[in-house]
Amino acid sequence: MPYDVIIVGSGAAGLSAGIYAGRYLMKTLVIRGNFGGETATAGQIWNYPGAPGMDGYDLMKNFEKQAKDAGAEVIDGKVTGATKDGHCYNVTVGEKTYHAKTLIFAQGAERRHLGLPNEENLTSKGVHYCVTCDGPVYTGKTIAMVGGGDASIKGIIDLAKYAEKIYFIVRTPALTRPEPVNLEDFGKLGDKVETLFETEVEELVGESKLEKIVLSKEFKGSNELVVDGVFVEIGAKPDVVVPISLGVILDKLGYIGVNNLMETNVPGIFAAGDTVNHFGPFKQTITASALGAVAATSAYNYVKKLKS
Amino acid sequence: MDKPKVKIYSTPTCVWCRATKEFLDEHKIGYEDINVASDATAREYMSKRSGQMGVPVIEIGNEIIIGFDKARISELLGIRT
Repeated sequence: MPYDVIIVGSGAAGLSAGIYAGRYLMKTLVIRGNFGGETATAGQIWNYPGAPGMDGYDLMKNFEKQAKDAGAEVIDGKVTGATKDGHCYNVTVGEKTYHAKTLIFAQGAERRHLGLPNEENLTSKGVHYCVTCDGPVYTGKTIAMVGGGDASIKGIIDLAKYAEKIYFIVRTPALTRPEPVNLEDFGKLGDKVETLFETEVEELVGESKLEKIVLSKEFKGSNELVVDGVFVEIGAKPDVVVPISLGVILDKLGYIGVNNLMETNVPGIFAAGDTVNHFGPFKQTITASALGAVAATSAYNYVKKLKS
Repeated sequence: MDKPKVKIYSTPTCVWCRATKEFLDEHKIGYEDINVASDATAREYMSKRSGQMGVPVIEIGNEIIIGFDKARISELLGIRT
């Protein structure tokens, strides 16, 4: 018997959809992928109602427990393909195939990389994309943060607990949409942080580990900056390979195109969370959760219509 | 045959370190948890042994595993998932 809904992804959107689908008594499967999504690696969360200061990973554990308690089945795995099969969809995870009447894509987005030649080789060898994971490894060291948005400011506040010196490399002439409370904490870091506006990283230098970076313009008389590590927080791009293979149309920014009910152009396929751009750049745990709830409700209404 | 010794090089805020430890706890596998944020000697050892500055690094006997690689950990420890 097919699932009523398969939810791809287990961040705030996917698990919220799992909670709602379970409570609608839908036969629900959540495919975990990267557990907890962006929220799990965000450190302490201060703006999710009802859980002030809770660690993002713990918050996502609570989401998952609530989804399971509501009846959702949760499995580990990465979705490698999906096909249409009559009124249903086949979803491939490893060597297994699962069948469902509806799909909700909530697999989030992957961190954007700098796109530099040596980047892949130096990943985790001085180049990092997760402050909460690897930041503490740089205790007493000199590092750079590449960014300019609120996530990078929050990242610097966390990194400052460990690093001796932080260079903040910002492509634009000003910071982008900083949350006032984070900006206030950022301002208290004093000389530990030096911000280099209108500057880009042009080269990552090092063989077995990062040794220095080359900047697009001079800083203190040189384009070279010696750092032990670089953290990259320049946004994320949605993971859309499988939805595209099913005929789902993207919006002009490359996110899955949805209407206000989180319906895609393909009947029975819905999307939520950071794979859609419903609230523009305002991507939060609370917005992802809301979109997941809407997507599950739409999937429920779709399945009800199929039965009638 | 004795089970190989398991060491996890981790940081307190790393979610994949937590996920690794939860997985081992779930399967009742004992391990030594080494905080490389506070232990500079261990940090140096981890970096040299694995070539990595990212965590978790898991040492199972003489094998080094980078990241929460559930399949590889299961294989080395005989865990059926």
